[in-house]
Amino acid sequence: MGNISDEATVLSDMNTKQNRYEALVRALHADIYRYAVWLIKDKSIAEDVVQETFLRAWKSLDSLKDEAAAKAWLITILRRENARRFERKQFDTVDIDDVSISDPVAHSEDSMEHREVRMAIASLSEEYREPLTLQIIMGYSGDEIAQQLNLNKNTVMTRLFRARNQLKEILTKQMNYGERANG
Amino acid sequence: MDDLSFRKAVYAEPFTKDAAVIEAAKQDPKKQAFWDEIKQMENELKEAMHIPVPENLAEKLILRQSLDNHTQVKKQRPWYIALAASVMFASVLSVYMFSKGSGNFQDDVFAHMSHVNAEVMKGQQVDLAAMNNKLATFNGSISDEIGEVVSANYCYLNTIKSLHLIIKGENGLTSLFVVPDSITDSVGETFSNASYKGASFLLESAKVIIVGDSESAVNEMKSKAQQALSFSA
Repeated sequence: MGNISDEATVLSDMNTKQNRYEALVRALHADIYRYAVWLIKDKSIAEDVVQETFLRAWKSLDSLKDEAAAKAWLITILRRENARRFERKQFDTVDIDDVSISDPVAHSEDSMEHREVRMAIASLSEEYREPLTLQIIMGYSGDEIAQQLNLNKNTVMTRLFRARNQLKEILTKQMNYGERANG
Repeated sequence: MDDLSFRKAVYAEPFTKDAAVIEAAKQDPKKQAFWDEIKQMENELKEAMHIPVPENLAEKLILRQSLDNHTQVKKQRPWYIALAASVMFASVLSVYMFSKGSGNFQDDVFAHMSHVNAEVMKGQQVDLAAMNNKLATFNGSISDEIGEVVSANYCYLNTIKSLHLIIKGENGLTSLFVVPDSITDSVGETFSNASYKGASFLLESAKVIIVGDSESAVNEMKSKAQQALSFSA
């Protein structure tokens, strides 16, 4: 009898872990994927990194004690996986900043405005793009971004200000150019 | 609030609830207009950043995890399988060595049953072509009616070369030995010891010995073998 109930406990633990993992995937995969795309600026590499991220999450799921911290936990894993990618492929990776002139996330059904806005966001440097992504995609506050990126809040707020300031300039220029071209 | 502080606050957090920002906008229509403009830009940013997620990404992530889990279990196998296999090998060897002089053919058959579990733990499945290749030694052939064969190896029963198949059936694992028909008298039509039941019969030009946990398993395999196996002279 003892064996049967032990086995049942092990099985139910496994089921619980599986259920927890599936709930985590369903709740957060979309935000994590979008975050990865904006961080990496390449959809297929981003998808690979997301796969690695969730695989690591599965392996160390027991270390996640509080479901409310799951998002921050996954972001931390993803940033580490992304950094690992650079260590691994130090010699054969093309510098992403050099090829990011085109739309990183082009879709045929997209409106022209979306494409322009996305290209503008992609043209921001990573130190501006990342906090902006955390704020817009993840709905993070300044304090939360500071904690996630291990920066102080003033630095974060300054980067967010500069990010939007640059975007405004780029988009205004594009609009003026568009008006001139049309007019 | 001065103009620069207002701009900074609004750029950093377009939907801020900061009382000082709200108040400043109330006081100054220019500030309010600027804020509205930034809010509109923010909505555009939000829409543009919410890119579509690949279809089935969630399913892929769940599948990938279960596959990895599976390979991990597989990867973990070797050390204890290796240990189990060497223990089995040592015990089979010693049974073989100590029983060789005195033992009879049936005991040798039972001795071979001791490595059944080790073979099965390898988790292999033997394909039909490989089995037919080995059966060719006995001028035999086999069809897939035999069921799921997890191991097919030559072994020596009291110095006679035989082919030992381990077959997964509804009632567990059954062993089937193929030996030349010349040993007709060495093994009885039915035989048993404390753990196993066995049966042997001639099938065309070969002798087939079946050993299993129960009589019903042996009989089930016997009728399957008669369907699936054939031997030409």
